[in-house]
Amino acid sequence: MTQTFDTSTRTEAPLRADEVTALRGFLDYHRDTFRWKCSGLTQQQLAQPHAPSTMTLGGLMKHLALNEVGWFGHTLAGAAYPPPFTDIDWDADPDWEWRTAADDGPVELRALYDDCVRRADAAIDQALARDGLDARSAEPSSKDGPFSLRWILLHMIEEYARHNGHADLIRESIDGMTGE
Amino acid sequence: MERTHRPVRADETTTLRAFLDYHRDTFRWKCSGLTQEQLAQPLPPSEMTLGGMMKHIAVVEQSWFEDDFMGRGLMPPYDTVDWDADPDWEWHSAKDDTPEELFALLDEARRRSDAVLDEALAPGGVGLDGLSVADEVDDRGRFSLRWIILHMIEEYARHNGHADLIRESIDGSTGQ
Repeated sequence: MTQTFDTSTRTEAPLRADEVTALRGFLDYHRDTFRWKCSGLTQQQLAQPHAPSTMTLGGLMKHLALNEVGWFGHTLAGAAYPPPFTDIDWDADPDWEWRTAADDGPVELRALYDDCVRRADAAIDQALARDGLDARSAEPSSKDGPFSLRWILLHMIEEYARHNGHADLIRESIDGMTGE
Repeated sequence: MERTHRPVRADETTTLRAFLDYHRDTFRWKCSGLTQEQLAQPLPPSEMTLGGMMKHIAVVEQSWFEDDFMGRGLMPPYDTVDWDADPDWEWHSAKDDTPEELFALLDEARRRSDAVLDEALAPGGVGLDGLSVADEVDDRGRFSLRWIILHMIEEYARHNGHADLIRESIDGSTGQ
């Protein structure tokens, strides 16, 4: 079993829209791009790095799932991490999500990812309804106080875009597939 | 290298420009300290190179901000290229350029883009809802400046992802 993604359903960011619609459009575009880059591959292929880098598409999927619930769930909304991220000793095993992804099947990884995206979107909806893009995060940054939702959305867009750059080269090395 | 600070609570324009500058700085850092030969070294099977990417990103800055948004056309050397005959010109011709030439091109493109942004985003300017002069890019109508800046941030960030892996394969250096 592999992950599937129908590219005709990929979100396109609207060319002329207000700030919230544009930011969420770009975020969804990159989430869909990432789903596409990971689709159609076996568990072994998802665990295949493009040396000398040790990154894998499966590891990226689990890492981005963690980022979704980390930034939007934990930092923005102050929510607890959902399973399987609840009881990890991150100090002892800081790369846990990258390392353990090799043991997960493609469908399992995608289900985790989609669930984390759903939780993230619910947190975004709530914060927007409360204070719009100036909504402040429940958890502050290390030195500058709370993040605005605007900053977190832009950070997640750049985080995804950069990882999609990694995914472009890793995917091409696995089966030759390319494309923006 | 000191990269642009991205304030965690700021208005839309300030935040967008800080993220764009941060990724421009990051890209410059990923390409710095390498020889002409290293800038021409791909990570197979991809054919992309850091030098090609520098020349590509400079023309992407040009085509979105000065050409499409302002309708002014491209700066040299891009203005005289036969793009129909050679659509990947910037990628393959970069190997003939020195690192200094490539950085100068990148910096000039950035300077010109910033002049466009300063004008559009100044008090009384068209602002982020301002629309591109070009009206039939991809048959999708005019682009808002908001979309163009967001697109440039994701364009840089994605190429910085490519640059991460290519740079690591050249000399082992990594980092966000």
